[in-house]
Amino acid sequence: MWAFILRRILTNVPVYFGALLLVFLALRVQDPVYQYLGQDAGPEQYEQLKRDMGLDAPLPLQFARYVGEAVTLNFQGDSWNQKGTSVGEILKRSVVPSLSITIPALFLSTLIGVFIALLAAYFRGRAPDSLLMIAAVLGMSISFLVYIIFGQFFFAAVPREAGWDVAPFAVQGYEPWIALGADAGLRPGRWVEYCMLPVMISVIVSMGYDTRFYRAVMVEETGRDYITTAVAKGATKPKIMFVHMLKNAMIPVITRVMSTLPFVVIGSILLEMYFGIPGMGREIITAIINKDFPLIQAFVAVFALIFIASVILTDVLYAIVDPRVRLS
Amino acid sequence: MRAIRRLLASRSWRKFTSNRLAMASLGVIGLYLLVALLGFLGVIHREDTQVRVLPDQTPGFLEREGFTDRATDARWYLQRTRQRVDRALDDPEAYGRLMSELALAERTVIDVPLEEMARLLEAAEARMVEVDAALDVRDEVLDEQLEIDLALQRLERRRGMDPDERVARRAELLDERATVSARLPAADEAGIAAVERVKEAIAEFQPMPSGLDGLWYGVRTFLGSDAQGRSISMKALFSVRIAFQVGFVVAVISVIIGTLLGASAGFFGGWVDYLVMYLVSVLSSIPTLVLLGVLVYMFFGHPLFDNPAEHPGLALVPVYCAMCLTFWVSTCRVIRGEVLKIKSLEYVQAATSIGFGRLYILFKHVVPNTAHLMFINLSLLFIGAIKSEVILSFLGLGVKGQPSWGVMISQAKDDISVYFFWEVVTASALMFGLVLAFNVVSDALQDAFDPKHVS
Repeated sequence: MWAFILRRILTNVPVYFGALLLVFLALRVQDPVYQYLGQDAGPEQYEQLKRDMGLDAPLPLQFARYVGEAVTLNFQGDSWNQKGTSVGEILKRSVVPSLSITIPALFLSTLIGVFIALLAAYFRGRAPDSLLMIAAVLGMSISFLVYIIFGQFFFAAVPREAGWDVAPFAVQGYEPWIALGADAGLRPGRWVEYCMLPVMISVIVSMGYDTRFYRAVMVEETGRDYITTAVAKGATKPKIMFVHMLKNAMIPVITRVMSTLPFVVIGSILLEMYFGIPGMGREIITAIINKDFPLIQAFVAVFALIFIASVILTDVLYAIVDPRVRLS
Repeated sequence: MRAIRRLLASRSWRKFTSNRLAMASLGVIGLYLLVALLGFLGVIHREDTQVRVLPDQTPGFLEREGFTDRATDARWYLQRTRQRVDRALDDPEAYGRLMSELALAERTVIDVPLEEMARLLEAAEARMVEVDAALDVRDEVLDEQLEIDLALQRLERRRGMDPDERVARRAELLDERATVSARLPAADEAGIAAVERVKEAIAEFQPMPSGLDGLWYGVRTFLGSDAQGRSISMKALFSVRIAFQVGFVVAVISVIIGTLLGASAGFFGGWVDYLVMYLVSVLSSIPTLVLLGVLVYMFFGHPLFDNPAEHPGLALVPVYCAMCLTFWVSTCRVIRGEVLKIKSLEYVQAATSIGFGRLYILFKHVVPNTAHLMFINLSLLFIGAIKSEVILSFLGLGVKGQPSWGVMISQAKDDISVYFFWEVVTASALMFGLVLAFNVVSDALQDAFDPKHVS
């Protein structure tokens, strides 16, 4: 087993370096220095700024520095766009806002998705099933942007503006709802105000994809022999569905959740941009728009590491469940 | 070609064509394609999306504007004409140019001497006096209403008053308010009639186009105008072309790259497989939107691709490149899996034993048998490309210098807060139709050709 884990890790090391190299090279095609210079800056200022940014060093040296930071996960360099803040600090402070949206969203969408899929599979081929699946396709076809724009407008902006008695959601912004240090504690009220609407939107967006996937899993499961056996021994249909099938269908469900775990960390880029939540997704997109290389590079390094770790973890879990995998 | 012919003769294809919903969706896609062709043929030109056709933020055909909005519109027409006529009176040379500035697409100003023009304009302005009078009446009514409301508030707050007297006084005030309010509809109606008369007078010097031009002007205006008075319908229809351009180019190129790499990886195995799978893992270990953003940025700085005013087509190249480099991955995985299965089938063994070359077998016998997967992926990637284009454009990393659905949504997202939905709804409704049609078609394709697949 340990040999298998070690092999998986070793084969994935080049992937990590490949991701680093890809982003590093893609970012070196354009010269970003002009972006940060004033209108009438002379060549001396250009050279000066280039040296400050560390772009005057030969490419291999720059890449070696980047790899050094990425391997030790110690991003000391300053962000170019947010002067005086180190990249590591930005990454650290943006994790919690991202997670406070994506984790509840992933949990809820999986739970509701599996439940609806079970319902659809229970009524397979009949009206409720086809209605649910039509709804899923319709939901999938609506743009994410539409959900965000109209969700924010009708659930946050209109109630505030019209002065309704119930206006629970903020239009934009974020305040920490987990306090650390002196007055440590949770403030669920703030979470509801700033995070709940994005979570709801995120759940609704993923609902279409999730239910279709889980329904396909359930339907495939209904063709198995153990279902026939259960029917033969006289088990009732609900019992078959919710006891036998659900347990066996958990493997693909868990695989899917595992594969989306890395994306939990980066948060939902669009939601964070639109609701002004200072999470990972918003930081990375503003970094790309502002050509903030240190931040982009650090972000990609962290994400690639998490992604590869989750891939290895999934492989290992598979190997534990199915020993044949270990030998291939 | 033979592979496609065989595909069209297969039982799965018949199953696909007997799916009525899918056929209807293909029809819808055909309609969109026609609109896109209008864009490609230049019937709907990029400049059509940039000319002013109406006052700012005019609602579309379904919404009837109230009196004040109509009065503002009429005043807008008069003021912009007055500005130019005054300037022409100072500088008669520039008269022709100034009048051509007034044109709203097909709705041009009539060609008459300056004095005649000034006279017509004055006639229209004279009628505007009636509108102003009606607006004054309206303001008076509203003022009276406000006063009564304030009196009501004061009444509630006053202390030491006999309850009966309070009730009586309140009823009196409410009565008064009702009579005052009752004057409002009549005043508004008179005002609207006055505005219509002003509009007739405006049409004297800027007539509504008739015939074919009138029809075309109707198409331009029936969905209203955006914050700069540009036609929403033209922008939305032009965006169909952009969507098809992006979707088609990206889907075709990504499927070709994905098939070639995936098939060779599966068929040859060994270091080819290792290399391709290495590329796939590297690309998937970076989040798609981030990778797209970085790649778009990589191409954008080049002067050739960053000049949408002169090369609107080339300005899309960064988007194509970024998406093609990212999207082939999913096709590659699917095709590799299928080729691994096909490789061990008898007909491949037979071809090997006859002595055909490996490349010949790959392209003659293996790749053609993945044609159905290529079709499914083409349709899926088309949707993916359109959706990503909209999101990238929304974030400012996509289409530049020309309208697309994403650009429209991002430009109009602030109009929502003043309850102006026309632009966002038009863009998203058109996009919804196309994506829905493609979703239905890809489902039907999957059902027909790859029924065991878990999506």
